[in-house]
Amino acid sequence: MTAPPYGPALDLVTRVRGVRGAMLVSGDDGIVVAEQLMEGIKGSAVAALASSLAARLRRAMEAAGVGASLFWHLQCDQGGLLVVPAPSGVLIVAVAEPDVNVGLVRLELLRAAEAVG
Amino acid sequence: MTTRAVEAWTLEPLVTFVKEASARLVLVMTSAGQVMAQHGFSRAVDVMSAAALGAAIMASTDEIARQLAQPPFAALNHQGDRHGIFLGAVTTGRGKLVVLVVYDLDVSSLGLVQLFFEQLTADLQAASPKEGVSKQVLAADFERELSDSLNTLFGR
Amino acid sequence: MADEIKTLSSQLAQDPDSLVFLRLGELLRLKGQFDAAHRVALTGLERHPHLADAHDLYARILADKRDYERAFDEWDMTLRIAPNHVGALKGLAFLYFKVGDVGQAVAHLEAARLHAPDDPGVAQALALAQGGGSGPARAAAAAAEELAPPAAAAAPLEESRVFAGLEGAQEGLLLLDAKGQVLGGALKEPHGRDVTEAVAAYLAGVSHEAGRTAKLLGLGRWTGVAAEGQHGHVHLTPPAGDALLLVVRDRAVPMGRLAIIAQRAAGAARRWLEQQA
Repeated sequence: MTAPPYGPALDLVTRVRGVRGAMLVSGDDGIVVAEQLMEGIKGSAVAALASSLAARLRRAMEAAGVGASLFWHLQCDQGGLLVVPAPSGVLIVAVAEPDVNVGLVRLELLRAAEAVG
Repeated sequence: MTTRAVEAWTLEPLVTFVKEASARLVLVMTSAGQVMAQHGFSRAVDVMSAAALGAAIMASTDEIARQLAQPPFAALNHQGDRHGIFLGAVTTGRGKLVVLVVYDLDVSSLGLVQLFFEQLTADLQAASPKEGVSKQVLAADFERELSDSLNTLFGR
Repeated sequence: MADEIKTLSSQLAQDPDSLVFLRLGELLRLKGQFDAAHRVALTGLERHPHLADAHDLYARILADKRDYERAFDEWDMTLRIAPNHVGALKGLAFLYFKVGDVGQAVAHLEAARLHAPDDPGVAQALALAQGGGSGPARAAAAAAEELAPPAAAAAPLEESRVFAGLEGAQEGLLLLDAKGQVLGGALKEPHGRDVTEAVAAYLAGVSHEAGRTAKLLGLGRWTGVAAEGQHGHVHLTPPAGDALLLVVRDRAVPMGRLAIIAQRAAGAARRWLEQQA
């Protein structure tokens, strides 16, 4: 079950065509905070793997001097993960089809991050 | 760090789990605290203490669940400043096993440990011999059995 | 050596985030100035807590100071960060020899040999431990020698050959292997400081992590990671095998253009890797 305050934030993302699901993930623990996923997507796996990759990217980007990550996109031939870290440490994650409008998903993820705080 | 097993069928699932979950220490034991495999421990005394404490924690929480008329807890997690400690139970052809995992929060997370613990559970269930629960250790043989197990676990 | 220590100390004072602390700590250790080496390593670790080489350096200093328990923890942490770190494998082998656990020592030396098959010290220690010498005592001595710093690294590859003719070949393109070792290119942060080695170290394992994520989530094969930072954009691509290509540009370069630059650089890297095979 998704806690009521998070529903509208996730709605912003899932309404974009080609998005198969959206989640809020605890960045430190890699566990699910809230989710709206199509059948067949395993939320706990998305949460654990997205937070692990996010941690590695964050360290590398800080070392490279480009600062904290604002948005990242794991591109795969059958889809992708799009992630915006919120200031609270929560990750807003979208699981998408390969031909999704990345720019639009990015905007909605940023809006969702603002709503989540 | 090396991974060692008293019963060979536990080795491959454990090696995979350690690699994927980036675990620091892992113990696979029976619910009585008899160790079947370990990763990352350097001293026998640490293994014996961890096994005894892990089995005791599982026994206590099972009893709490029983008194609440609830099914046993599937897993327990303690999050410290730098490390997490995870305890989970697996039912196999050899009976119920308890798995104790210590992970560094710098390189792993509760989510990763939980995710790959599911895989470890499936791998152990698939690999376990189906001929039934392993023989009970008789009191008279206990010390020798313990010594043999520790020798195997530390490659002696 | 004294001159080099002086120069490195002054570099570190000017830029406390610099990785010169690794070399400085090692030089101080070799000179037997363990307390100074200890301070340098600890300060470096505070700034680079996820750098495997920093934990390895600290472990060697602790071992020199005979603080074997903490040395064990530090080498263990090194392996958590970089599971194939040969220095840490050798260090742990040394500690196991010290406590007479030849089995564990040999297991660690065998793992070290897997990743450094040409390391003569590992082979020698293994031969002694496996009965070629007069027993565990000599094996321990051979393993102890392995704690000596490695010989100077082989001359760096000609970076320009990998990305010849490409924009940013010397400061914004980096080609790594799966262990985080630099194959070509270089990276400078916005203030011009060379961050090649640090970024390479942090990116070790990203290829595996991205591949695992794609596989377990049923997303097929991973083709890239595009990331937007506060001060710049980065693009990661697997050009071939486990190699990883990193392209970094400032925020003025749009992500789409960055993807095209990355594609061209990946082509160059792929050709170069094929030539090396």
